[in-house]
Amino acid sequence: MSWLTDPVGEFTDLTRAEQGVTLFVVAFAAFLFIGLLSGGLGPSYFLFLVGLASMYALLSLGLNSQWGFTGLINFSVAAFFGIGAYGTVLLSASSSPVREALLDAGVPGVLLNPVVGLVVAIVVAGLIAVAIGIPTLRLRADYLAIASLGLAEVIRLIVLNQQDWTNGSAGVRGIPSFFVGWPVLSDFPSAMPEVVVDLVPGGSVTLSPPLIDWGLTFGQDIVLGTPFWRALLNVSLVLVFLGASYGVLRRVHRSPWGRVLRTIRADEDLARALGKDTYSFKMQSFVLGSLVMALAGVFYAHLNLYVSPGDLDPITTFYVWVAVILGGSGSNRGALFGGFVVVAIREGTRFFSDLGSIIFDVGSTEVVISLGIEGGPMRLLLIGVIIVVLMRFRPEGLLPPQRELIWPGTVDEVPEGPDVGVRDARGGTDE
Amino acid sequence: MSEGATSMRERHEGADMEKEDVVLRVDDLQKRFGGLVATDHASFAVERGTITGLIGPNGAGKSTIFNLISGFYEPDGGRVEVNGIDVTGREPYEIADAGLIRTFQTPRKLEGMTVREAMLVGPRKQPGESFVKLFTDPEGVAAAESANLAEAQRILEEFEIDHLATQPATDISGGQMKLVELARAMLADPEILLLDEPVAGVNPTLRNDLAEQIRRLNEQGTTFCIIEHDMEFVMKLADPVVVLNQGNVLMEGPPDAVQTDERVIDAYLGGDA
Repeated sequence: MSWLTDPVGEFTDLTRAEQGVTLFVVAFAAFLFIGLLSGGLGPSYFLFLVGLASMYALLSLGLNSQWGFTGLINFSVAAFFGIGAYGTVLLSASSSPVREALLDAGVPGVLLNPVVGLVVAIVVAGLIAVAIGIPTLRLRADYLAIASLGLAEVIRLIVLNQQDWTNGSAGVRGIPSFFVGWPVLSDFPSAMPEVVVDLVPGGSVTLSPPLIDWGLTFGQDIVLGTPFWRALLNVSLVLVFLGASYGVLRRVHRSPWGRVLRTIRADEDLARALGKDTYSFKMQSFVLGSLVMALAGVFYAHLNLYVSPGDLDPITTFYVWVAVILGGSGSNRGALFGGFVVVAIREGTRFFSDLGSIIFDVGSTEVVISLGIEGGPMRLLLIGVIIVVLMRFRPEGLLPPQRELIWPGTVDEVPEGPDVGVRDARGGTDE
Repeated sequence: MSEGATSMRERHEGADMEKEDVVLRVDDLQKRFGGLVATDHASFAVERGTITGLIGPNGAGKSTIFNLISGFYEPDGGRVEVNGIDVTGREPYEIADAGLIRTFQTPRKLEGMTVREAMLVGPRKQPGESFVKLFTDPEGVAAAESANLAEAQRILEEFEIDHLATQPATDISGGQMKLVELARAMLADPEILLLDEPVAGVNPTLRNDLAEQIRRLNEQGTTFCIIEHDMEFVMKLADPVVVLNQGNVLMEGPPDAVQTDERVIDAYLGGDA
């Protein structure tokens, strides 16, 4: 816990990229904290955002363990996400045709709970990953990309059209909380008392700094009711998923297993010549990533409580790719960070419709600066600009792998790894 | 086969197949790419403990033969045996398991790794390469990793490049990459090592280093089979030398005999005129 005793020393030990990201995270957390205190950001909505960000972080971790570790190009992130989401809701949601059929067939309803749904979703995602991997992973990398692109559409169209299983475009409603039927946790949100946080006793303080009227009012009572506790429970769930996935991926990334994957990414022929069964390693990497993506889907279903074929749109895949490339391919921390940033952009731009015009209060006259752009287009514009700027100035991503990856405990001093990311170096080779 | 080639073929005496302790035997190997016959019934054998040179003019099919032996290409016909095991048409990793490791003509770069990380890819059958064992037997993985790391350090020292251990693997010179590649191949503990142009593009000093290292490793028991264009290098190091021409073995013999053989000179000078 040297971060507690010597934060300055720890900070100076970091690489520049790590310092930058740390500062950014701290500043952003402070910004959100102010938002919470001022009442501009409701606590339940805040937790919803944290859940969403963690979900994207999970998806990014999954893709990173395919693309970042092994160099597998998977364009069916949304499909595995959808398999996870539909896998659990088809078993547990009250409006699910599959659940009804199973109940009619005499399967006891107790068995059809979200935990079993989770297991089923994971198993199905794994089987589909193996099925798509068998024909494509022996071929050149491009074939997996093409096949996965097709897979994503096939899964989406099946979900959309197989109405007697999935309700088609109507989607699935009546999704229970993930913890339904659990002792204590099942009733936790409604059993918790309503807590009122009164920051400034007896009133509120309005900040009116000069020039710009931010409209911040501090000290309004913050009410923490059932929705808050429910959201808190959801966030705890996704943080457990995220923590477990991150722990596993971090461990395997710096193992000899991960080293073979990184060798495959850099040069598959070299790995083959050194006696590695690259097909098997690629399959393991692909399935592992797909499972993590399905996990994100399971969580999403119980967060959003409504799942429809629209959730399988390719845009999700696109966002996750942006997150991984932004964070730095091959870096688990980068994937986490990228996932959070993408959600910050996705959700942050919702406020741009309000901020479409900023009103500056200069003396008696009001200066209106209009951006003339709505939230939706703004989001796409911003993401596009970020990708272009990133590729131009930092193609290896914000937080590429910073250090040597050797199984912990086997080396005393760990030197800093090359600051050059994989893509950058790859640009220099003749292939 | 055209008539010219046939008359040429009559002058091919082939390789010496009557060796005692053979590590690698290539028998009647064939490969075509469309209309091009790259390997045309090539046969030769590599005796244990030798440094066998494989030379031939450009387009003689040297690299193709290496790719066929190491499993990167599937042969159209013929047979490859490593240590008496038939490995024809097997996957490269299975052939590596039989004891044959190869290197590549252009040094392969491992981006994002340090030299010692890149070295650690070498050892075969590491327990840490099993996903399950990472969680069921972390101590075993750590022990094997420590042992491999010590071994990597030892080999780097033997190659006198241990000062590069924590350098990024992509930031070292081409010659050093060749040394690292050779050192890494040794970590895989091969019985026979196929080197594809080990000194192409390497400066004379490092070239001598490489020659010395190869000789030292050979004395310690590793068998080598080397493709090389640098005649001086091959003739100093290899015995015997197998000469390939037009996908077929022209002759085999000690370096002196090969250098003075008229057929070899003809082949290098461009044909059967």
